[in-house]
Amino acid sequence: MAELAERQPGQGYTPIDEAKRQRLLELVRGRAMARPTDLAEDEVMVWPSLVVVEAVSAVVFLLGLIVLSVLVNAPLTAHANPNQTPNPSKAPWYFLNLQELLLHMNAGLAGVIIPTIALVGIAAIPYIDRSPLGVGILGTSAKGRKIIAFTTVYTIIVQTVMVVLDEASDRQQFGLGAVLKDAGMPEIVYGQMLPSLIILGAIGVLMAMVQGIFRPTRREMIIALFTGFVVTYVMLTIFGTSFRGEGQELTMPWNLPLEHH
Amino acid sequence: MRREQTLADRITGSAVWRSVVRHGYPDTQRNQALIIASNVFLHIHPVKIKRYATKVTYTFCLGGLSFFMFLVLVMTGVLLMFYYVPSTDLAYQSMQDIEASVTFGQLMRNMHRWSAQGMVIAVFLHMGRVFYTGSYKPPREFNWVIGVLLLVTTFLLSFTGYLLPWDQLSFWAVTVGTAIGGAAPLLGQYVNFLLVGDYQIGQNTLVRWYTLHVIFLPLIAAFLMAVHFWRIRKDGGISGPL
Repeated sequence: MAELAERQPGQGYTPIDEAKRQRLLELVRGRAMARPTDLAEDEVMVWPSLVVVEAVSAVVFLLGLIVLSVLVNAPLTAHANPNQTPNPSKAPWYFLNLQELLLHMNAGLAGVIIPTIALVGIAAIPYIDRSPLGVGILGTSAKGRKIIAFTTVYTIIVQTVMVVLDEASDRQQFGLGAVLKDAGMPEIVYGQMLPSLIILGAIGVLMAMVQGIFRPTRREMIIALFTGFVVTYVMLTIFGTSFRGEGQELTMPWNLPLEHH
Repeated sequence: MRREQTLADRITGSAVWRSVVRHGYPDTQRNQALIIASNVFLHIHPVKIKRYATKVTYTFCLGGLSFFMFLVLVMTGVLLMFYYVPSTDLAYQSMQDIEASVTFGQLMRNMHRWSAQGMVIAVFLHMGRVFYTGSYKPPREFNWVIGVLLLVTTFLLSFTGYLLPWDQLSFWAVTVGTAIGGAAPLLGQYVNFLLVGDYQIGQNTLVRWYTLHVIFLPLIAAFLMAVHFWRIRKDGGISGPL
């Protein structure tokens, strides 16, 4: 190019220097200078990019559901009989966590107050944790994911110990309830206040440990609390479905009556 | 040279076709936009979307699957309603008829049952996904609250359906469940009467739960879902890394 620019007008044609001669080697497909689309760099068209994902997952799921439904029949036991109580009588599995809770404390506390507080607490999460940090990242951060793992292990151990210990003391709040009962305290003390304190204590210990070990942000502390809730829900459901036999005694899953398998 | 018209060209070029379908074959961006915008079912979506929002390992399709299971439940539920009689004398018999005599009856019942259980699991997992990705944060706070209400509605839908077979399993599960509700402080006996409609579980309970199950709660769920899906778009689509 410089050669051409330096060429004076009127000068004749200069033969091309063979050593500098350019050859066409290849055509490379590149992005056009003017984009013929109004899609931003990180955007895709919903048709087809999203619609295909939805359609495929719907078809795969539906096929799985049909296969399951062909292979496994929904249960239909004997005609309802109000005079014949099955032992054990169990709520649907997703309420068995409440039924498990019910064994250990006052029915109103276990069946109504605690689930209500849990649901209101969950609904309130976005009004407590308002920082936009960590949106779109599973577990917020490496620390967040460690907190999830820590809380899961903590909750599994604490739940198992509490259920087994309480069972060993005839569901008298580790025997403390029996002591208070014998001391002539009213039901509200040993059936409601004592279990509430035990639950708050278990949550408090979790929060103190997470605080001490991880120095969490508010978001990360809420991750610990939410994980504690989810693991508790799952653990109590497992206890209720698989480890409660006749008279709601703790049993191994293979000793359960057949319809509860 | 003019291309010869194929049968497909004649159909898609006809006045009837073009009165129904307002877009051409979706191989251009214009038609891909029109197919979303001109279809009442697809227009729940925007025309274009962030690339990360199509990643399956971010959402695991859990919200979509919950909705899909709801649709399966509506379809199979309507078919079951043709045969099911909500009477304490006839309910159990109609269940046996559905299983033994109705064409595909057992399959419909199984699909209804397993979807109902699956929907409870999917909604719960969806809540977990939304929580662990921090997707409830502003501006999505209110949609999270709607989601919690949808979780409760899903539980209630599943639980009201549990009584309908009128077998021992359903009768005693509901006995336990309503006893839990009846343990509510102060309001216990009123809650219990509201749920049972009598002093013991019987015909009144069955009609109550049937009505809640087949019309009242599905309407509530549909209403909440409409708000839920609309809010996703108004709050800027599904969440993603900032």
